[in-house]
Amino acid sequence: MDVGHILKKFPNRRREDLIPLLQRIQDENGFLSEEIIHTVGDYLNISINKIYGVATFYDNFRFGPLGKYHFRLCHGTACHVAGSTTLLKELEKLLQITSGETDKSGLFSLEVVSCIGACGLAPLIEVNEMYYTNLTPDALKDLVRLFREKENAVI
Amino acid sequence: MEFQIKINNKQIRVQEGETLLSALRRNAFRIPTLCHMNRFSPSGACRLCVVEVEGKRDLITSCSHPVEQGMRVRTNSQRVIRARKSLVELLLSNHPDDCLYCQRNGHCELQWLAEEMNVKERRFFGKKNTWYPDYSSTSVARDPAKCVLCSRCVRICEEVQLVTAIDFISRGNQTRVNSAFNKGLNESSCIHCGQCIQVCPTAALLDISHVEKVQAALGKESQQVIFSISPSVVASVTDKLGFKSKAKAMDRIAAALNRCGASKVFDLGIAYDVNVLEDARILADRLAGNGNGNGNGALPLMSSCCPSWVKYVQSFRPGSLAHLSGAKSPQQIFGTLVKTVYAEQEGIARDSIFSVTVMPCVAEKYEASLEENTHKGVSEVDAVLTVREFFQLLRGSGLDIAQMEEEAPDGPYNTSSAAAWKAGYSGGKAEAVARELFRMLADPKKERFKFNLPKNISGRREIKVPIGGREIGFAWVSSIVEAEDYIMHLEEEKRDDIHYIEVMACLGGCVGGGGQPVNRGFENVKSRKRICVEMEKNALFKLPVDNPGIKPLYKGKRLLPDNPTALEWLGNRFMEK
Repeated sequence: MDVGHILKKFPNRRREDLIPLLQRIQDENGFLSEEIIHTVGDYLNISINKIYGVATFYDNFRFGPLGKYHFRLCHGTACHVAGSTTLLKELEKLLQITSGETDKSGLFSLEVVSCIGACGLAPLIEVNEMYYTNLTPDALKDLVRLFREKENAVI
Repeated sequence: MEFQIKINNKQIRVQEGETLLSALRRNAFRIPTLCHMNRFSPSGACRLCVVEVEGKRDLITSCSHPVEQGMRVRTNSQRVIRARKSLVELLLSNHPDDCLYCQRNGHCELQWLAEEMNVKERRFFGKKNTWYPDYSSTSVARDPAKCVLCSRCVRICEEVQLVTAIDFISRGNQTRVNSAFNKGLNESSCIHCGQCIQVCPTAALLDISHVEKVQAALGKESQQVIFSISPSVVASVTDKLGFKSKAKAMDRIAAALNRCGASKVFDLGIAYDVNVLEDARILADRLAGNGNGNGNGALPLMSSCCPSWVKYVQSFRPGSLAHLSGAKSPQQIFGTLVKTVYAEQEGIARDSIFSVTVMPCVAEKYEASLEENTHKGVSEVDAVLTVREFFQLLRGSGLDIAQMEEEAPDGPYNTSSAAAWKAGYSGGKAEAVARELFRMLADPKKERFKFNLPKNISGRREIKVPIGGREIGFAWVSSIVEAEDYIMHLEEEKRDDIHYIEVMACLGGCVGGGGQPVNRGFENVKSRKRICVEMEKNALFKLPVDNPGIKPLYKGKRLLPDNPTALEWLGNRFMEK
């Protein structure tokens, strides 16, 4: 990905530009690739090891592409009490990936997030900005099956 | 302004603005720390230096707290002692606990603290992190499982060496020190200086050990194991034996290694002499405006005897490559001497020689592994031992250097001049090169040689010496941050009055090298330097050309630049990295 047009927005090349710069790049590209980190390092004159250290400090930055269906499982207090740990285990089994990963087909990715802010509907999950609420493991199975069928129908 | 504060019922005088820790240490209160480093800004990461201050609700970290008027401090109250002990216990709860199998057993700061805090049982049981060691580098090994996250290595790598080859990755209980994308050190920008090993309190950073390789070679009948000892190593051993004992450290090293099974023990000092001669010759050539096949005549000439500095230039300053001296480093010059000149003279096959150098440096391990330092695919130097590994080898063979009788090192390489000692500390090599240049160009009837080095380790870093009716500027820097600052300054001011810059990547030069014994502090760097200075005063030969070993090497133009093999022997090829 060419990030030249984003770099131009930070003409002063200051150290403190690093995080906003990475955020913008991730907004467009979806993730930070090795190549991008090298480019940013050259531009801001910061070691790539430093950039990687900063980026891994924040949960928001990712280093691989998202799946077509990005699952964000809420792990706030209310969801936790309502059984989100069971949902996480179920989801890991269904998708064969753990939190922070994308499956080999590039279809699904999974992320555990803190409170989404809909505690009355706990436990819930967000997939591509759609919310699925009051979930049970069975409902989750149906949801994943639905996505899989949809994909097969397209092919 | 000075005022008094009260520590455990004792009044002490303190300076306004200093930290509580420095005031306490000056007054012989031993405060434990893991993250504190002298001359660095406080980090407050390990929290072991906590003390209780009257009127303050929480314990405070003395390393990051300035002294205040009327302060009443308690350094050994129940609360302080309990807090420190808990901190150590928590560190231990995520530690592999394999002291018996650990290279730093017996000289590990965490182990000492556990003993000092009287930790006798395990109070915290938790899941330990599983991190795997990284042996990918040619010089520095990492074992993140033993890391206590004190940040000393990260800070020295970033602030002193400007390299930032490692940083904290991830956060919380997943934090570890690693390079980008969790790749090995060999893929990072590491310059192999080994300063991280010097500051690491535990065994999280170690050298890539060559001890077993050497032991295996010593066990083979068909191999002639030749040891070559660097002058800085001799200084370090002298320091360890106690300089006042008047022991001839080099002779004791030779005696010990002979008992180990070495077929020859050489003094590597002669290679430093050759290196100084070559640098002076290249400098004279460049001053005369000639390119000479070793470079394109760029001034100032920068020394290339330090492999870490060379790697830094290759990776970060490719624009300065033309300034580097074309001379090989002393280790590689000696490697060639042993495997080519000596082997030829004695009629020994190259393959049957196993050449071991003992160096104060871990970067030499990296240098010896470089392709440009091989001859027909075989390394010129087969193994490099640091001072630490050298002692390990002796201990493993049941030899104690303090008990040895003195045996002189073997000929033909057993002589060195004062220049070899000078090359061990910052500023010394610049002086040696200046002296040689003076001998080459100056008229001794008209000019007198004057070159005053400051006594301290850091300090004035340039000097002008009139040589041959011309003011020649010599400069010296140790550590990359000093080098980068100084060269930037020269470039910004467009100065052309400096002609030679000696760069050593470790603070204080090779006497403070990454391969020297750890946990001995900066005091030992100073005392090793003092030993070098003392040794050069007593040296039999003052100038490299006085060294009787040099003449046969240069006889018949063998090593002169118009001989094509000379470049192979002495010349370096530096590529961008």
